[in-house]
Amino acid sequence: MQRVIGAVLVLGITAGASCQRAATVTPEVVAVRAAAVPEDPGDRAWQSVPEHVARLLVQDVVEPRLLQPSTPEVRVRAITDGSLIAFRLEWADAELNDRPGPGRFADGCAVQLPQKSAAPAPDPQMGQAGHGVQIAFWRADWQASVDGRGDSITDLYPNASIDHYPFDAPSLERGSETQTKMARRFAPADALGNRRGGLRSSAVEDLIAEGPGTLGPAPASVSRGRGVRTPTGWLVVIVRPVPDGLSPTSRTQVAFAVWEGSAEEAGSRKMRSGWAGLAMRGPS
Amino acid sequence: MARVYNWQIGREMSYWYPESRPKRQFAAVFDTNKCIACQTCTLACKTTWTSGKGQEYMLWNNVETKPYGSYPLAWDLELLEVLNGGRWNGRTYEGETIFESAPAGARVLSWRPAAEDYAYPNVGEDDCAGQVDGGAGFSLPHMAWFYYLARICNHCTYPACLASCPRGSIYKRPEDGIVLVDQGRCRGYQECVKGCPYKKVYFNPMTGTSEKCIACFPKVETGLQPQCFVNCIGKIRMAGYISRPEAARPDNPIDYLVHVRKVALPLYPQFGLEPNVYYIPPVHVPPAFLRQMFGPGVDDAIETYRNAPNDPDLAGLLALFGSSESVMMRWARRGDEIVGADDRGTPLVRVLMREPVHVRPAFDRLYQITRTNCP
Ligand code: SF4
Ligand code: SF4
Repeated sequence: MQRVIGAVLVLGITAGASCQRAATVTPEVVAVRAAAVPEDPGDRAWQSVPEHVARLLVQDVVEPRLLQPSTPEVRVRAITDGSLIAFRLEWADAELNDRPGPGRFADGCAVQLPQKSAAPAPDPQMGQAGHGVQIAFWRADWQASVDGRGDSITDLYPNASIDHYPFDAPSLERGSETQTKMARRFAPADALGNRRGGLRSSAVEDLIAEGPGTLGPAPASVSRGRGVRTPTGWLVVIVRPVPDGLSPTSRTQVAFAVWEGSAEEAGSRKMRSGWAGLAMRGPS
Repeated sequence: MARVYNWQIGREMSYWYPESRPKRQFAAVFDTNKCIACQTCTLACKTTWTSGKGQEYMLWNNVETKPYGSYPLAWDLELLEVLNGGRWNGRTYEGETIFESAPAGARVLSWRPAAEDYAYPNVGEDDCAGQVDGGAGFSLPHMAWFYYLARICNHCTYPACLASCPRGSIYKRPEDGIVLVDQGRCRGYQECVKGCPYKKVYFNPMTGTSEKCIACFPKVETGLQPQCFVNCIGKIRMAGYISRPEAARPDNPIDYLVHVRKVALPLYPQFGLEPNVYYIPPVHVPPAFLRQMFGPGVDDAIETYRNAPNDPDLAGLLALFGSSESVMMRWARRGDEIVGADDRGTPLVRVLMREPVHVRPAFDRLYQITRTNCP
């Protein structure tokens, strides 16, 4: 246990130190070339990378809109090895929200890229018909699951008491087909492969959209990522393939969004940025 | 917003989508006078649909004691407070519906229950309004009263859950008007949980999606009534299909009770959803309370219902409640016999208006033996 606390402290200090270190601020996101992309938000490699401060606006274009601004900005750094690109998003958030439930919402963030780099750029608000966007979405409750939180109701509500689930009947062999089938019957979203909760192996999901309300799963899962709590908020790294159009000689666009769980933000109730330029720099 | 017609409030109103009524609309009549709050309906639903992880707190069917009971906590009072009253002019509602009073940035006027609001499903159970002082006697309406309100999703004609979903993950089936959450499309934003004024959509923290009453559609599709209907001990429920008022058929049990006799009324019609569960109001409760809950038709409905002993058609149809697992599309009375039939008119069940009385003498002459009653 002591070792765990020690590890958490070290991580906290590293993260805190990285926040305090003054980075070069760039008007666009500059992905610095390196031999490997760090997946750990506390990795030292992040310290020497320039930072872009993306100002966030309330999403007030489509209903339901966000009327009260919450997270004002997200600080973004990027590293690429030429085939993968890692974005590190850092934002202030006084309250940890990582338990789903009725009336409870998880903290989250997303990186959005045009599906095709060809001009003109799609509408920054989820793209538009014929001009789609690709989105890598991270959520704090998924991170908690990846970090080891169980999938029983007491993991979410420690004082809950449950008498019995029919699929836990002693007559059913655990893990048998009959038992699994019965549990599935009471989890219709799971049965349809729509994994929004429960145990997860990744805290990030790949999505595509062609306008508000059209968000759907991407044809393939290509992103991964990891988020850690800092003393003042979140540090989240999202790693994905270098987008179409980004090379040492050409640039594309990128946009960001942050959801503040304590402000009941979910879906279109979010803080989002406009497009920022995304360039690559360093030895090729 | 589109303009649509809502016959329950006697006027056109604004709604997020244009009017598009299903081929036929699933509907139900609940007779509040017969409910005993045994919660068999609640359990029938729970064991059938919501026994999974994350569904522990969900009651797609619940029965609450009015005036103090509510699940989730104060679901109706919270909304009535923000809706800020509303006037009826005869059978026309002149106040605003939840769609018309939607605040900036939202599609409906609504409030969001906190997790704790789901923690007291039995709050107010059997608590009556007012005290019974010494020497008091009962008259109608009672000066101290309570009644049981059984609630399921109303499979509304203008569902607020559907209007609230920015993803279009909720749909109303064109074949029967049943309102469903597409479990493959829902992303768990909980807009529907907030938007439904009846609070009949529940968020499942384990699957991360919202879930709701499905009107037992696999049963309904084969002509059977849902689980909470057929297991009802008090036989208070009848499922069927409702027509628009101008197309009402007196031989359709739901049409007869709602449109012809106007004895069954919608729950909070002023919200503007055209809900499709209709309640026969309790006869012993002060009408002022009931008018707020069921609209201006309360006084006539109570008078009609109380006259049922002299009204063989109405009494006869009420006797069909709980008599068959099948949905009765038609009905007819022949003397003392009431027949429930399918849509081709083929009889499904016959019920006598008054159960025959059999007298069994204590001494059985045939067997020369004295009978005893077993407990
Ligand atoms: S009662 Fe609520 S959940 Fe059911 S259809 Fe109406 S608005 Fe939707
Ligand atoms: S089963 Fe019937 S009588 Fe019992 S509580 Fe439910 S509605 Fe009322």
